[in-house]
Amino acid sequence: MKYKLMKKNYLYVLSLLGISMLAGCATTPGACELAAERNLDSAFINAKAKLADGCEAHFDSYFDQLLGVAAGDPQPANKQKFSDFLGWSADEGILSRRQAQKLYNRYFNVKFMALAGDYNNCAQTCPRKTRVLTAMEAELTDKERGLVKVSQDPASYYRADRLFQETELVLEATCTACANR
Amino acid sequence: MNVSTPMPMRRRHVRVAALIPLGAIFAMSLTLISPARSDTAGGPTIRLFPTSVLEDIKETGYVAEEMETGLQDVIARMDQQSQLYQDSKCDGAEGDPGCGRIAKQLGATYLEMLNVMNERLPDMERAVNATRNSLEKRLRGELGQKMTSWTLQENLLGNTPAGNASPAPRMRGRSGMRLSQRFQQYYQLVASSGAGASNQSMAVVASDIYLDMNEASELIARTQEEIGRATLMEQLNQSFGTITPEMQQVVDGVKSILFGDSEAPYQVAGPPPGSEEKPYKSPLEM
Repeated sequence: MKYKLMKKNYLYVLSLLGISMLAGCATTPGACELAAERNLDSAFINAKAKLADGCEAHFDSYFDQLLGVAAGDPQPANKQKFSDFLGWSADEGILSRRQAQKLYNRYFNVKFMALAGDYNNCAQTCPRKTRVLTAMEAELTDKERGLVKVSQDPASYYRADRLFQETELVLEATCTACANR
Repeated sequence: MNVSTPMPMRRRHVRVAALIPLGAIFAMSLTLISPARSDTAGGPTIRLFPTSVLEDIKETGYVAEEMETGLQDVIARMDQQSQLYQDSKCDGAEGDPGCGRIAKQLGATYLEMLNVMNERLPDMERAVNATRNSLEKRLRGELGQKMTSWTLQENLLGNTPAGNASPAPRMRGRSGMRLSQRFQQYYQLVASSGAGASNQSMAVVASDIYLDMNEASELIARTQEEIGRATLMEQLNQSFGTITPEMQQVVDGVKSILFGDSEAPYQVAGPPPGSEEKPYKSPLEM
């Protein structure tokens, strides 16, 4: 009698384990790993499939891997592919529209998201000028990756680089003027 | 990227000579920067060079030009005398009466230069400070208080589509180049902006001039302090008829600023030939 009861409990625990393993399949580390891929289109398809299958938490890693794959075959058309991918991610609710915009512009646009301030320069930018410039410098590295290594668009990268230098100069003058009030 | 400004090359020469190219700077700025220029295509119009700022620049230009005119002749003579001193192998030949004469003449010319500067500097100081103050007010109002960091970058990007391969001017603190050379670049930029071909924001030009004025103002104050001491030292040196290292440094500095250091021209790596296709514009682009 006692043996039967134990056997019943054992089977119950086993079945629970089986169910939970099936349910959590998508979130196990191996399951969310993106297969090594050299073709960018296939890599996007794989990434989308994984993201739709419960691996949303791995978005940043996928994005980084996709940039790596794209760098293996750089071309201007890659910009649109990334834009489409980010747009899809926003439509699917994996990212907010704002996050998708930020990410796209950080890598593929001349403008700096580090300069996305809502208040006047004397009040907001000047007190944190060093931080802003440091953030711009980090963003410039990402722009080099997105614009030069992925999209083969060095002209835009050079413009971004110059914009960084111009901003540095203009902020130095403007912030000196603001401080001398 | 280097956020600080590497200035020692310039500062080394500035004690007496830094003010020399100002005349050229102001004269060029004056004729080129029109007061009613709109800064960006499609962006908010900013007025960094209204008539009042231009008047200050004009005044400073006149004063600097007068000083420059007064100094050019003296500097040319100093150069000749210095060359003669070197050609005559007078270094280390202090006892030679001929060398002593040349050294005395050189010292007298040096004193003359200090006197010219001493006479002109107060006017120069007033003019530079007035220009700096009026530009400061415009920068604070137009760029500091009327703009956010986002609108500022849109303003800076305003006239330059991505892919424009025109070489950018070297900016303050990154070049080590003479002020007059930099302003010659501004001349070209501002002149071409009249034909709608500018790739340079007026905000950058205004910032550059303002920071230079700030520096010039400090240099004038320091130079005025130095002149009295240098005059006394040279009067003493006249008695001994020697060329001091300090004097030689000043002469070198003056020559360097007037005739220029041989520097490699600034080159920004050019992009590869652009394709004719219209660049992709993402719906996510801001």
